Amino acid sequence: MSTANAMRKPADGALPGGAPEGRGGFARSHGVGGFGRIEIAIAAACRRIAPLWPLKHFVAVNPFLGFSGQTFAATCTTMRRVARIDMLMPRAFYRDALATGAIEDQDLRAALAAVPRNWRLPASMAALKSELARDVDIKTGRSAVVATVAEVLDTRAQGDRQASRTAFMVDEISKWCAGYFDEGQSVWRLPSRNRPLYAAWRASMRHDRNPEMMGIVGFRGAVAALPDDPIAAIATVVDALGVPERAHADYLHQALCDIGGWAAYARYLVWNSELRGESNDILVQLLAVRVVWGYALFLEHREEGFREAWERAMQAAATPPQDEEAGDDPDIAIDLVVQLAYELAFQRRLLATLGDGASKASATTSAPGARKQLQAAFCIDVRSEVFRRALESVCEHAETIGFAGFFGYPIEYVQIGHLAGGPQCPVLLRPKFVVCEAVRGASPDEEEEILGLRQLRRRAAKAWKSFKLSAISSFIYVETAGLLYAGKIVSDSAGLTRPVKDPNIDGLDSSVATRVGPRIESRTVGGRLTGFDAVQRVTQAEAVLRAMSLTQDFARLVMLTGHGSTTANNPHASSLDCGACGGHTGEANARVAAIILNQPEVREGLRERGIDIPADTWFLGCVHDTTTDEVEIFDAEDAPATHADELRRLRQWLRAAASIARRERAPCLHVPIGAETDLRVIARSRDWSQVRPEWGLARNAAFIAAPRARTRGIDLAGRAFLHDYDWAKDADFSVLELIMSAPMVVASWINLQYYGSTVNNRAFGSGNKVLHNVAGTIGVLEGNAGDLKIGLPMQSVHDGKRFVHEPLRLNVFIAAPLEAINGVIAKRNTVRELVDNRWVHLFAIDTAGKISHRYRGALEWQSL
Amino acid sequence: MTVPQLWYTAAGPALLVAVGMVPGRNGTRAAAARTLLAIAAAAVTLVCALSTAVAVIALGAVRTAPLGVSGLSFGIYVDATSAMMFVLVAFIGLIVVIYSRNYLDGDSRHLRFVRWLCLTLAAVLLVILSGNLVLFALAWIATSLALHRLLIFYPERQAALLAARKKYLASRLGDLCLLAAMACLYRGFGSLEYADLFRMAARFTPGTSPWFVHAAAILLVCTALLKSAQLPLHGWLIEVMETPTPVSALLHAGIINAGGFLVLRFADLISLSTPALYSLALIGGMTAVFGSVVMLTQTSIKVSLAYSTIAQMGFMMLECGLGAFSAALLHILAHSLYKAHAFLSSGSVIDIARASWTPSPGGQPHPARLAISIVAVMGVTIVVGSAFGATLVEKPGIFALGAVVVLSLIHLVANGIDERPNAFVIGRTVISAVVVAFGYFGLQYLMELVVANSLPATQRVRGPFDVVLVTAIILSFGALTMFQSLLPRQAAQSRWQGLYAHVSNGFYLNTLANRWVLRFWPTPPARAASVSEGGQ
Repeated sequence: MSTANAMRKPADGALPGGAPEGRGGFARSHGVGGFGRIEIAIAAACRRIAPLWPLKHFVAVNPFLGFSGQTFAATCTTMRRVARIDMLMPRAFYRDALATGAIEDQDLRAALAAVPRNWRLPASMAALKSELARDVDIKTGRSAVVATVAEVLDTRAQGDRQASRTAFMVDEISKWCAGYFDEGQSVWRLPSRNRPLYAAWRASMRHDRNPEMMGIVGFRGAVAALPDDPIAAIATVVDALGVPERAHADYLHQALCDIGGWAAYARYLVWNSELRGESNDILVQLLAVRVVWGYALFLEHREEGFREAWERAMQAAATPPQDEEAGDDPDIAIDLVVQLAYELAFQRRLLATLGDGASKASATTSAPGARKQLQAAFCIDVRSEVFRRALESVCEHAETIGFAGFFGYPIEYVQIGHLAGGPQCPVLLRPKFVVCEAVRGASPDEEEEILGLRQLRRRAAKAWKSFKLSAISSFIYVETAGLLYAGKIVSDSAGLTRPVKDPNIDGLDSSVATRVGPRIESRTVGGRLTGFDAVQRVTQAEAVLRAMSLTQDFARLVMLTGHGSTTANNPHASSLDCGACGGHTGEANARVAAIILNQPEVREGLRERGIDIPADTWFLGCVHDTTTDEVEIFDAEDAPATHADELRRLRQWLRAAASIARRERAPCLHVPIGAETDLRVIARSRDWSQVRPEWGLARNAAFIAAPRARTRGIDLAGRAFLHDYDWAKDADFSVLELIMSAPMVVASWINLQYYGSTVNNRAFGSGNKVLHNVAGTIGVLEGNAGDLKIGLPMQSVHDGKRFVHEPLRLNVFIAAPLEAINGVIAKRNTVRELVDNRWVHLFAIDTAGKISHRYRGALEWQSL
Repeated sequence: MTVPQLWYTAAGPALLVAVGMVPGRNGTRAAAARTLLAIAAAAVTLVCALSTAVAVIALGAVRTAPLGVSGLSFGIYVDATSAMMFVLVAFIGLIVVIYSRNYLDGDSRHLRFVRWLCLTLAAVLLVILSGNLVLFALAWIATSLALHRLLIFYPERQAALLAARKKYLASRLGDLCLLAAMACLYRGFGSLEYADLFRMAARFTPGTSPWFVHAAAILLVCTALLKSAQLPLHGWLIEVMETPTPVSALLHAGIINAGGFLVLRFADLISLSTPALYSLALIGGMTAVFGSVVMLTQTSIKVSLAYSTIAQMGFMMLECGLGAFSAALLHILAHSLYKAHAFLSSGSVIDIARASWTPSPGGQPHPARLAISIVAVMGVTIVVGSAFGATLVEKPGIFALGAVVVLSLIHLVANGIDERPNAFVIGRTVISAVVVAFGYFGLQYLMELVVANSLPATQRVRGPFDVVLVTAIILSFGALTMFQSLLPRQAAQSRWQGLYAHVSNGFYLNTLANRWVLRFWPTPPARAASVSEGGQ
């Protein structure tokens, strides 16, 4: 089941999936017979791995991305049977939900009615409940589809991964990968790191005696004897081990799961190559390393017991198991039903909230004709919902808008002195523009001076850092400068200083640091075209306004508010920044958008294209700090003097809204409500010992694409992504297509990342934050070794007593005609996979604002 | 002098013990309350430490009357050395306890963590305060046992068990050495009271010391080397990141240097035995070179900090072996503060990485940059060194350490003269070099003044082996510095592949240790993980 499904390749190119067969590294000709099939298996195994972005710009990734071609239920089955990884909560969680009434009998009944008839389920609900009382251990349950050498060794060692040396294998591969991929931790870098991964590894293994020191006899010889080509090596090993052909892909997938973190990082490199239209076989090479390691363990174990166990495992793998289809295994079927019931229960309550609110919402819409006092666009991020509601409550005539926080500007933002910057756009896109940072009001000479000074400071700092961290000189550094750390420890503990200077303003004078911002003007920097020319500005501005459904009724002040977080000493800091801005703060994007929209030439061009922005409308680029709820307004000094009073009033509103929002968030942060609340919430952003500075996107559960009027006045508790969308203004439904294929997909990635980190933090999360150890400045290890960790720390989803995040698939609500939604589903394969394979729940909102239909799959809808 | 009021200083550690011993139910609220008590106890301890330091400044070394008979007793003894250590550890302890408050928040074993943290801290403080080897040994062993509980704070982590067991074995070996040393001393001197020991030791000179002084000195040195993760039993230290970061901070800043403190505490005795000093210098020097070269290849922040600690402790032992005891004390103090900050802020490494962009390169390194740096640095060092009276011929230890300063400054200045020599960068680096030179010699000078009555003065040449030792140190440190300046370009070449493999694996010493421990003391397989193991 799993193999066939997973190999089905996405048909459209919206998402760069694994390299299709016949392209790139998977399909080189070797002149050796039988390679074709193993290449397909390799490609299938590699495609199941989801990418992992490095910590410098960590973005949410759907950990099940490689399985979007098969259903949620089938993926649960595959994961359990092939990789021995659970992706549902343990039964105790559901029992608890039943006991506390979080799941009611009606939900269970509804779930039983919703699943396919052929699933093997208990006959009655009572039987189901009694079955649920039994815990299932997937490690000792039914046999896996295929065992790897590591797994057979583990079994023979009664699960002791140190005795079986598989823990050692993972440590060794992980350590070597950290050396190969290191982005700046080590001073003495791996000499062979410029060579292809597999060749580099083999070059290292000619000298590395560590496995032999651990007692793995003949390791270096075994590695040297295998072919130079990674695919040929994999083919040779799989052949020598006698893995039956039907299990090839599963075998290779399971091998990759042992080093899933580094595999995910390699997959990220492949992803980037594919965005650029290049091919990259680095993941295949990594797979070869893992497979060869397993083979070396196999060769070492000549004892009869192991060889017999291995024979048996391969025979078992050759015959298809009885339960090949999802639902065949009663244990999984029960778990899937209760998970569904858990989600249906949530939907029942959410629908009630939205239904109740709908009447209230329509009542509160302001009288037509009156000009709004303020329009404020925020990122769709769930954290904006709390703030928007607060702002609306302090300023009744404010309109808030939800839109992807990069405001339609896919830019690469290059900071002063840097040669290149990070992509500030959703990771599905490639940046289209390069924007350089500049200093406001600085003459070219002054800019030159600031740039030169920053570079020189950087170089002096580098020399000093080398003195601090090198062999020998570090001894003298410690004796000279060590005592000064007493003061630093005190001021860092008190939150007066950051342990490390903010990298964004490091090397700039503080008077300069407050003046930096994006430069819009088009010019060539370092051989690259940067900024925007006249046509690009108008085109981009038009696209953004239309996508926001903001083409008329402009207020005098329009805020474009990106968001970012402020935390200290947090390796996962960028995971709290804006996902739509590629794990950066949305500051640059919002400022670029506002500056362009304020330019008279651009306004003129927009008027020609049918968008008439009044002359007295002024756009403000802002950033919402999600940790402190403070909103910073940029370039306010450029605003016309006529707007000074309104700006002052706006600042008051923002302060008041911030205080309301903090009070709403405080209970979840265990901060008592009182006079100190604001200060204590803000203090978390500077606390170097704080493992939960804010809750990020935890608890996210819904995505609503509708006009704000549909949700205004409803307390969605910071659990909904709100995207403004008015289908009446979307003649060809191209905006709907954009929303469903980009923001909705990104929201589901975020949702599934939180889902994965909650249901099985060991496999899909990064474990315990207090043990985190940053490797290669790329990712974290948990403790001193082991595989690179993916996903979110336990502390990001759990408060110590309970899971703050509820494992719910995203509930998507779209206010558009069913035919239009169906049109997008039929057209975009990535969207179809998400909704048809049940990775999200989809609902439609009718023109009256009622949630009218539930999507049943295959373009069918059920009326509610 | 005997000051009965000194007993009050034990109030701090006693409070910590109380906070650690009182049982309590697990739970967020109980843990929060206990954390506040722990912070209060740690704060009281710091106040005790500071007032003791004031007393030592006013009165010189102070002690309580021993409670016990025939040299086996309990009592407190604080001189300049232990007063500084007391303040240091109390300070680090307070910071770590405060840090753990939010860091461990929500962990279902938070309360347990706080309790063992307090007990560990109290035990270390007792090591520093004790005035008798009996109390010292008890506190010494208690430190190790309490720390063991913290190292296996997550007992389901197999790697944590493995590392803790390696540490356990090394520590017990150290305990045996300590007990044997005590036996020798009791046999020879008839007392384990510091005041008696130091008084009687003053009768001997290195040439005239009897067998039991040599035996005790060597055993004490072994105890110290085992405590401070020196070669070849250093492996446990690089693997104890299996426990929350504050434990690492306390371990690296407050516990690992107990080995150094032991040597300083018994410096009067150990310096009577030239073989003991040579062992310190030899093993310390080798560990320093080993640790600092392996550190260069490490790819994770905490493991590279651990190798750095191994190297720094090696250097400190080397200083002791060269007879530069005050320099070693300065090293302990400065390294502790530096390393505590480094661990507690290890999550900021991503910020550092983001700020570590390299400005556009251009041009080639200046061909004569090494020569220029050498000339500049030699000049600076000779001028500054003689200003502080660090004459290079009289004291071989200082000569060797002076050479290390020169090598370091050469490295600093050479790094300033990079691809495109620029007056600003070079100027700034040279100024840094001058400041470092002044800072270094100034601090050494001050420290020697402060501990003049507490630690033996820096020694003169003792024999031909001194010259060999100093030459070997200067040559190996010099070679390492030269190698490093080649690193960015040369060591990337594949002919260094073999050496890189051996170095990055720490010459396989730890792998062999792991294999040995796993064979004779296998760790039980990980228990089935509960869903929320991180939070519970």
